[in-house]
Amino acid sequence: MKAAWITTALLALHSLSAARDWTQPTLAERAAEAAGRSPWESAFWIGLGLAGTLAAMTLLGLSLVYAERKIAARFQCRLGPTRVGWRGTLQTLADTFKLISKADLVPRDADRLLFFTAPWLVVSGMLLALVNIPASPLLFVVDLNIGLLFISAVGALSVLGILLGGWASNNKWSLLGSMRAGAQIISYELSLTLSLLVIVLFTGSLSLGEIVQSQQEGWWLWRGHLPAMVAFLVFVIASTAELNRTPFDLAEGESELTAGFHTEYSGLRFALFYLAEFLNMFIAAGLAATLFLGGWMPLHIAGLQTFNRVMDFIPPLVWFGLKTGGLIFVFMWLRWTFPRLRIDQLLKLEWRFLLPLSMVNLLVAALVLLLGVYGKGGPA
Amino acid sequence: MSWIRLQPQKPGPRRIGGIELQTVSAPRPDSDSLWKVALGGLKGMLGGMKLTLGYVTHPSKVVTQQYPENRETLKLPERARGRLYFVKEENGFHRCTACRICERACPNESIIIHAHKGEVTKKPEIDHYVWRLDTCTFCYACVQTCPFDAIRFDGRFESAVYDRRLLVYNLNDYAGPHDTLARKIEDEEQRASCRTPVRPYEGPVPASGEKLHGIEPLGPPRGEDE
Amino acid sequence: MTPKTLTLQDLLRTDFAPGGGTQEYFVNMGPQHPATHGVLRLLLKLDGETLRQVIPVLGYIHRGIEKICEHQTYRQIVHLSDRLDYLSALANNWCVTRVVERAAGIETNERIETIRTLMAELERLQSHTLWWGVFGMDLGAFTPFLHGFRDREELTQIFEDTIGARLTMNYIQPGGLLHDLHKDFAPRVRAWLKDFGTKVDEYDRMLSGNLIAQKRLVDIGALSGDEALGLGATGPVLRASGVPWDLRRVRPYGVYDQLDFVVPVGEKGDCWDRYWVRIEEMRQSLALCETLIENIPEGKTMLVKPAAKIRLPEGTFYEELETPRGIFGVHLHSRGKDMPWRFHFRSPNLHNLWCITKIAPGARVADIVAMLAGLDLIVPDMDR
Repeated sequence: MKAAWITTALLALHSLSAARDWTQPTLAERAAEAAGRSPWESAFWIGLGLAGTLAAMTLLGLSLVYAERKIAARFQCRLGPTRVGWRGTLQTLADTFKLISKADLVPRDADRLLFFTAPWLVVSGMLLALVNIPASPLLFVVDLNIGLLFISAVGALSVLGILLGGWASNNKWSLLGSMRAGAQIISYELSLTLSLLVIVLFTGSLSLGEIVQSQQEGWWLWRGHLPAMVAFLVFVIASTAELNRTPFDLAEGESELTAGFHTEYSGLRFALFYLAEFLNMFIAAGLAATLFLGGWMPLHIAGLQTFNRVMDFIPPLVWFGLKTGGLIFVFMWLRWTFPRLRIDQLLKLEWRFLLPLSMVNLLVAALVLLLGVYGKGGPA
Repeated sequence: MSWIRLQPQKPGPRRIGGIELQTVSAPRPDSDSLWKVALGGLKGMLGGMKLTLGYVTHPSKVVTQQYPENRETLKLPERARGRLYFVKEENGFHRCTACRICERACPNESIIIHAHKGEVTKKPEIDHYVWRLDTCTFCYACVQTCPFDAIRFDGRFESAVYDRRLLVYNLNDYAGPHDTLARKIEDEEQRASCRTPVRPYEGPVPASGEKLHGIEPLGPPRGEDE
Repeated sequence: MTPKTLTLQDLLRTDFAPGGGTQEYFVNMGPQHPATHGVLRLLLKLDGETLRQVIPVLGYIHRGIEKICEHQTYRQIVHLSDRLDYLSALANNWCVTRVVERAAGIETNERIETIRTLMAELERLQSHTLWWGVFGMDLGAFTPFLHGFRDREELTQIFEDTIGARLTMNYIQPGGLLHDLHKDFAPRVRAWLKDFGTKVDEYDRMLSGNLIAQKRLVDIGALSGDEALGLGATGPVLRASGVPWDLRRVRPYGVYDQLDFVVPVGEKGDCWDRYWVRIEEMRQSLALCETLIENIPEGKTMLVKPAAKIRLPEGTFYEELETPRGIFGVHLHSRGKDMPWRFHFRSPNLHNLWCITKIAPGARVADIVAMLAGLDLIVPDMDR
């Protein structure tokens, strides 16, 4: 046990320092490796992974909500939360306690079983996706060889949760919202997956660890030429739609459907929906950063040795955080600038524009791969 | 630039009802082609994003007032209609002659005046000047019509209370003659004793819980007292 | 043959769509709904997301103001008109004042009329600014809402300086004005107008130029000029349908006859036209205010003793003027007392509301919200 603690401390230090060794085993691999040797160590690694995921979920949830409120405030010439804690940092914590302590309201004619299940379904889908995100060589819980496929699969669980929630509430506004969400998420799943496939083509792997490793030479956004850039744009648009965020927040559509699928939800169950919404944003941004912006890899520009050396000294976790944070800011920027689309426009955008675009893009990517012109030039 | 160019179209005169007037017409989309929509739209949306980003990067554009902290500096303008008060002379006497002009001008009976004929002065003297903030619509008619400048509004705006009975005020702090009348009382002793103190929430329309139950009628109907 | 009377059962019947097999259903939009801005209730008959019928239900904020007016003196009525369309309180004040002044034969001077015109135009800006913000919010963009309120707040403070109130003004009264202008009024208004010129351009960049907003508005809820006239629509709603009926030009009151401005009109009467007409009206009003603030003549601002009783001769009187939302009229019947015998407001919003029954069928749920926002409805004005 003592050895495990020391290892943890050393590993933590190591992850904060400049880790140039980008082939650390993931926590799951450590656990599997230790399984035959010592069940305790194996259990420790599993426990660390679980605790780390839960802690990350809580911390990320709290900080993302806070960040959203602060940034939205600045877009709108306001200050945002300022009262609880230093500059309002504890405001979200206070709100969480408030939500948890609220009366547990269930509509009289609601389908109680489905009503209770829906938020947990959304959260579990989110959690299953979260463990796959490689945040740094050490903060990487599990590296499935079908990681991308797995993430898209469990990502679809949230549709199920939203549909169930809207149906079970026995409220016409909720039902409208959840039906919109169903149509929207299923449509945008297509172009989302097609844009992921571009990177899969380039790397030849579905494993997120390998995708990150493949970007040692340079980020796919540049190395993949035009198809990767188009795929990145499509991915950002489609994931905004997947996340039900403005301009695609038709499922909630505050001014149209009061609150859409979670109109009847309050207290803890509402908090779960809310948490899942924000963490899904993190997952989408993290995925985009991993696939297109090199994940935890530092920024290298060919020819500038000193610059590259300095970049190496920035810990991988910080790199991942910066890239993900930047993308999250873009999501927020879109949200606080644009009005909402209408349902038919939303579907038109997907089926008439994004889907053909990403299909052609996939073909172009295959062509680029065949001709072997990728992987050269640009910041590496 | 955007899909619809935001310039007024077709300036020129139009006739309506025998009158000719200058009009401009709303711009309309000039093309539905995908390229025009996509390019124009992208330009317009990027323009909007640039604008909002400018707000994020300029903290000086924040307009929030930190309300309870800025109580010291937050002063409403002098004409603000916050709370009605009695103007008092330096000697502590008010100016109200109980002429009831304000009571008549009040559109919703928010002012109720109780007065008696003074024993010494033989003129009406205020007992209770009742102002009901809970029914007041802040129309300013009372202050506007008062011929003696005896009442005024000030900028106190934090009037919220937990019991609406506390919104019934006595504006006068004493029952007795107004300043000009009081000056005419020659006897020093009499002048000093002509004032009976009245507290803001006390009177024939008491704000203490037992006597007034929220919507109980306020005193006798108009024209029946005296 | 007598025409079939429409019963409540007819109104509330839902049908299966011909051939499709889907069933219509009812949804209550309001009286508590974020998009109805108050207690307006719309009964929507929907088929999926497509709207079949709208039935507006009123009465949730009926206060009987017209009845109360029968027991108020002509001076006191003015402050009740604040509480109809609270965003155009000054215009409502002015209309009541005009009918009383005309009936009583009270003459005003140039200064009073100029200040009244200036105040009405400033209030048009104030009202349209708020409308723009709320419009953005209804389309799903929350930032315009707070930007609109930010710009409106400064103007509200200017009003507060001079008038003493922020919403319920009671400023324009029979015989003149409640207060003379505050000494800071002219400089503050000048500064605000200068600043607001750039803000209107920002509105264009943020919302008008946005492709999503344009796509949401163009060709949605088209109302032809004849239909608009038939429904009694006025103000920007009527003008967006191509009828340039602006009382400020058609029958000038105040000092509008000395002013030069252009009436913006729409072509198709869709949501985009209604939106653009209001944005352009802001620009026109801005120019009007800039002219007016430099040309305020000297003179008294109250010509009648405030406590004097106003008695009107027997008869029926009607006056109307152009508020930010359309034509506001006051119809009063006097029997020679100091209170009216019957008092009636012709409020623009009630008439504009019924346009929704014409333009909404066939649209989607999201379009209803855009249409309501485009009609710029104030609920207390409908119910009174």
